[in-house]
Amino acid sequence: MKYELVAGFETHIELATKTKIFCGCTTRFGGEPNSHCCPVCIGLPGTLPKLNRQAVRYAIMAGLATHGEIAKISKMDRKNYCYPDLPKAYQISQLYAPLSIGGYVELSNGRKIRLHHIHIEEDAGKLIHRHGDTYVDYNRGGVPLIEIVSEPDIRSIDEAREYVEKLQQVMRYIGISDCKMQEGSMRCDVNISVRPEGTEKLGTRTEIKNMNSINNIARAMEYEFERQVDLIESGGKVVQETLRYDDATNTTSPMRSKEDAHDYRYFRDPDLVTINVSREEVEEIRASLPELPADKCRRYIDELGIPEKDAQLLTKYRKISEYFDAAREGVKSPKTVSNFIIGQIFRRTETESDKEVFDVSVTPEQLNELVKLLDSGKIRNNLAKSTLEKMLDSGKGALEFISESDMGGLDEETMITLCRQAIEENKKAVEDYRGGKEKALKALLGNVMKNSRGKADAAAAEAKLKEMIG
Amino acid sequence: MGSIEKIHEMLTTKQCSCAELTKSYLKEIEKSNGELNAYVNVTGDEALKTAAIVDEKIASGEQIGMLEGVPMTLKDNLSTKGIETTCCSKILKGYKPIYNATVWDILSKQNAVMLGKTNMDEFAMGSSCETSCFGGAANPFDTGHVSGGSSGGVASAVGANIAPYGLGSDTGGSIRQPASFCGIVGLKPTYGAVSRYGLIAYASSLDQIGPITKTVEDASIVFDAISKYDDRDSTSKGNVGGDTYSKLNNDIKGSKIGIAREYIDGVRDDVKNAVLNAAKVYESLGAEIVYFDLPALKFALPVYYIIACAEASSNLGRYDGIRYGYKTSHYNGTHDMICRTRSEGFGEEVKRRILLGTYVLSAGYYDAYYKKAQNLRGTIIKAFNNAFENCDIILAPTVPMTAFETGHAVSDPIETYLTDICTVPVNIAGLPGVSIPCGFNAKGMPIGMQLIGKSFNEATILNAAYKYQQAAPENFKDTKWGVKL
Amino acid sequence: MVTREDVENIALLSKLFVPEEELDGLTQSMQEIIDFADTINNAPTSGEAFDNINNLSNVFREDEVVESYSSEEILKNAPEQAENHFLVRNRE
Repeated sequence: MKYELVAGFETHIELATKTKIFCGCTTRFGGEPNSHCCPVCIGLPGTLPKLNRQAVRYAIMAGLATHGEIAKISKMDRKNYCYPDLPKAYQISQLYAPLSIGGYVELSNGRKIRLHHIHIEEDAGKLIHRHGDTYVDYNRGGVPLIEIVSEPDIRSIDEAREYVEKLQQVMRYIGISDCKMQEGSMRCDVNISVRPEGTEKLGTRTEIKNMNSINNIARAMEYEFERQVDLIESGGKVVQETLRYDDATNTTSPMRSKEDAHDYRYFRDPDLVTINVSREEVEEIRASLPELPADKCRRYIDELGIPEKDAQLLTKYRKISEYFDAAREGVKSPKTVSNFIIGQIFRRTETESDKEVFDVSVTPEQLNELVKLLDSGKIRNNLAKSTLEKMLDSGKGALEFISESDMGGLDEETMITLCRQAIEENKKAVEDYRGGKEKALKALLGNVMKNSRGKADAAAAEAKLKEMIG
Repeated sequence: MGSIEKIHEMLTTKQCSCAELTKSYLKEIEKSNGELNAYVNVTGDEALKTAAIVDEKIASGEQIGMLEGVPMTLKDNLSTKGIETTCCSKILKGYKPIYNATVWDILSKQNAVMLGKTNMDEFAMGSSCETSCFGGAANPFDTGHVSGGSSGGVASAVGANIAPYGLGSDTGGSIRQPASFCGIVGLKPTYGAVSRYGLIAYASSLDQIGPITKTVEDASIVFDAISKYDDRDSTSKGNVGGDTYSKLNNDIKGSKIGIAREYIDGVRDDVKNAVLNAAKVYESLGAEIVYFDLPALKFALPVYYIIACAEASSNLGRYDGIRYGYKTSHYNGTHDMICRTRSEGFGEEVKRRILLGTYVLSAGYYDAYYKKAQNLRGTIIKAFNNAFENCDIILAPTVPMTAFETGHAVSDPIETYLTDICTVPVNIAGLPGVSIPCGFNAKGMPIGMQLIGKSFNEATILNAAYKYQQAAPENFKDTKWGVKL
Repeated sequence: MVTREDVENIALLSKLFVPEEELDGLTQSMQEIIDFADTINNAPTSGEAFDNINNLSNVFREDEVVESYSSEEILKNAPEQAENHFLVRNRE
C-alpha cells in the first residue's frame, strides 16, 4: 500500500524588537549569562509585565504578510507549566484570542498551506545540562516570539522545505526577524501523520521537536514517515507523543517523561489588558509593508520581462530585490541589470548568507550608471562586462575605467569615418565582397573594430559597411 | 486630629525629634511584640537612619511633608529592597528583594520611617493571620482573640499603637476584616487606584494595596499619597477620583445610603444592630437610607474562591527553589527538588488553595468553574452598577461576626471562608470599601462596618466615614498598648 | 465528584507531593470545597461578559532599552549558583 504524508507546522520566530516583550531588557543574542535580566524577566515575586508595542506591531505585520485576518480584540493568556527555564512557571501567550487568524502560505506548485493563527508569546530561558546538573540562564527569557500554527496541509517533504523557506523569506522581507534556525531565532515543531493514499481520515500524529535546520527538518520527517509506515505495515499503532530529533543518529525518540503533565490550564492573564486593534491601524500597517516577495516576483515577470527563474533569484532576499530596483532605475532593459546581478555579482556572493546580506562593493547607483552607458550606446556589452569586474574588484565607479575616448566614438560621423578608412585600406576585401564573398566583410569589420579600439558596436558597424559598399 | 497630623505637628513644632519618636515606637514594639506578634521583622536601624535625615531637615529649617518622619509599617508581602520579604511563608524565608514595591518607592522617597514588616496569613490566604509561618498576630483588644486576616499584623500593630499606620493588601477582605476585628480603619481602594507593582501576588485581578489606620483622616492622607499612576503596572489608573483629604467633612445631607438586605441577613445580631444603629446616625446627619436587594451576592463567595484560587495556583507556581527562597536539602533530580521544596515550603492552606485553583482550571473543569465564575463576575458588577443608580454609598457589615478566639478559625475551611462573605463582593467588582469601627459586642470586642462606593469614589466613602467618626467617636477606642501621642 | 486520581493528577500539575496517607482526607476536603463551588451552577447565566475591571485596553511600553541588572544582583537570592548561572545540582 502507498502512504501519504500529512504534516502541519508550529513555527516559533523571535521578533527583532530591541527589548524583551514585557520589560526593557535587551534582546541581544549572547552576553554573559543572566546579564540581560531584571526583576520582571526573572519573575521575581510582585513584578508585573508590560507589553512591548513593537512586538504587537511586528506580529500584526506577520499576520498581514501571510494573508491573515487581524483580530479586532486580542488578549494575553497564561500557559501554566513548571520547568526551570520558565521563571514564572507560566508562559504569557495567547490561546483564546490570538492576534492573527487564518491566512496561508502559497507554494510554487500553487497549493496554499493554510494557517490556523499567529500569536505572540515570550521565550523561555536556556538550560545547560552538565554532569547531571542544570545551569539556568534567563537572558533569552522574555524575548518576544510569534508562533505561526499551520493546518495539516503539507503533503510532502519538498512542500515542507518550501513552506519553511517561504516563511523565512517573508518574515525577513518584512524585517520582523532574522529567522536564523542555527541561532534559534526560528524553530519548527512538526506534527506528522501518515494515511493510505486516497483516504481522507487523518492518522494519529506525532510531534517532532529540536530540529535546527531545514535539512534536519527534511531528514527528521523522512525518518518519521518511514517509521510510522513500517509500524502500521507491521500491524502496530502510532502513539500520539512528542519526539526529539537527534541529528547525530538521524532518529527520533520520545521526549517527555511522565513527570511532565500535559494540562496547561490556560486562562486570561489578569496582569495584562485587552489589545484593541483598530481597522485604521491595520490599514496603516498594511500600507507600510514592503511589497511581498511573491507579488514582487510576479511583477518582475509580468512587467519587466524577467524570466521566472531569474525573478525568483532576484526576490529571494529583500536586499537583492532592493539592489535590483535601485540599479534598474530609468534603464531601458531591466533584464540587462538582472543579467549583471545574476551573472557577475552573484559570483561574488556565493553563499546564501552572503546573498541575504548582499553587501556588494559596487553600489546599485554605480551599476545603474554603467548600464545607462550601455543603453546610450556609448559602450558596448563586452566593455561593460569587463568594467563591472574591475568595479567589483575595486569598488570604484565605471568612469574610473572607461576613458572619454572609449566613449562617444560611436556617433554616426566617427562610424562613417572608420568604415571609409576600412574600405580604403582593404580594396581587395571590398571587391571580394561585391563579388559575392560574404565572408570578406569580416576583414573590413575587424579593421573597424581595431581602429575603434573596441568601442564600436559590431552589429552597427556591419550594417554601416554593408550600406556603404553594397 | 488623626495620628499622622498629630505626629506631623509634633515634629514641625519640635515637641520631639523624629529620632525620639522612632525610638519610643521601637521601645514599645520591643515591649509588646512578644505578646502581639504583630511584627515579623523590626528594622530599627533603617528606621533610625531615616529619622536622622528627617531631623536634619527639620533642624535646617526645611519644610517636611505630611508623611515625612512618620513611623509606619508594611505588610510582609510588599517588596522592600534589601529587606527580607517573606509573605510569612517558609518558602520565602531569607528572600531579600532587589527592587522596591511602587508604594514603598513613593513613601520611602517621602522619608516615611519604616519600623518593620508585619505579620500576615501565609501569602495572604486566611482570615485570622494564623496561617503565618511565624504564628498569628494577637488582637490588641484581647490577645486571646485573633487580629483577623490576612493583614493581621498591620491591624494588630496599628490597633496597639506600635505603628501610627501601615499598608496592607486586600484580596477578599484582608484589609477591612482585620481593621474591623481590631477596631480601626481599613481602606481597600478601587482596583487600579494603587499600583500593585511589588505586591507579591495572591490573586492578581482582586489584589489591592491600602492603608490601615487609627482614624479616617489618616486613611485619607495615606491613600492620597499612594494612589499614583504607575507605568510598571498595566492595570494602574491612579487616583482618578482626585484628592480625598480636602473633601473630608463635606456635608452628607441628602446623600443616599443603601443597605442590601443580603448583607444584613445572616450576620450575627450584635453586628446587625451595630450597623443599623450606624444607619440611624447617618439619618440624623441628614442622609437618606434606602433598602434594596442584591441577589447576585449569593454567588459572590464561590465566585471569589474560584477566581482567587485559580489565579493563586498560577501566581504561586514560581516558588521552585531555583531563583530565591527556600530549597529542600535532599532530593533526586530537578522535578523531585521542585516538588519537595514546594511541599515543605508551603503551609496547608496555601497548598489547599493551589490544588483547588489547579482543579478549576484543569481540562474538563475550566468551563464549569472558572469560565462560569468569570461570567458571574460580570453579573455581580452589573448588579452593583444597578444598585448605585439608587444610592451613593452602600452600608454593610464588614464581617458577620467579631474577632474569634485564637485557634478557632482553622478547623473547617468552608466555615472560615464564610467569614469573608461581606468583604469579597467589593473585590469581585473592583470597588472601593472602607471599614470603620461602629460598636462593640458584649465582650467588648470591636464591630466594624464598611462603606462601599462607586469606582474611584474614595472621596465619597471617606467623607461619609469621617462624618460617622465625628458623630460617634466613642467607637474609635484606644487600647492599653503602645505609644501615647 | 472528586476522585483520588483527580487529586493525584492536580497535585502533579501543582508540583506538590501528597503523602499516600493524606490522600483520602484531602480528596474528601476537596470534594467539600468543590460542592461549595458548585453552587454557582445554580446561578442564572447572564450575558455580562467580564473582561477586566476597568475595561482597560492598549496599555503598552515603547520598545526602548532599559539597563538590565547585573548578573550578581540577579543571582543574589539564588539558593545555589555557579558561573553566573542559577544551578540545580542533580543530587545532594
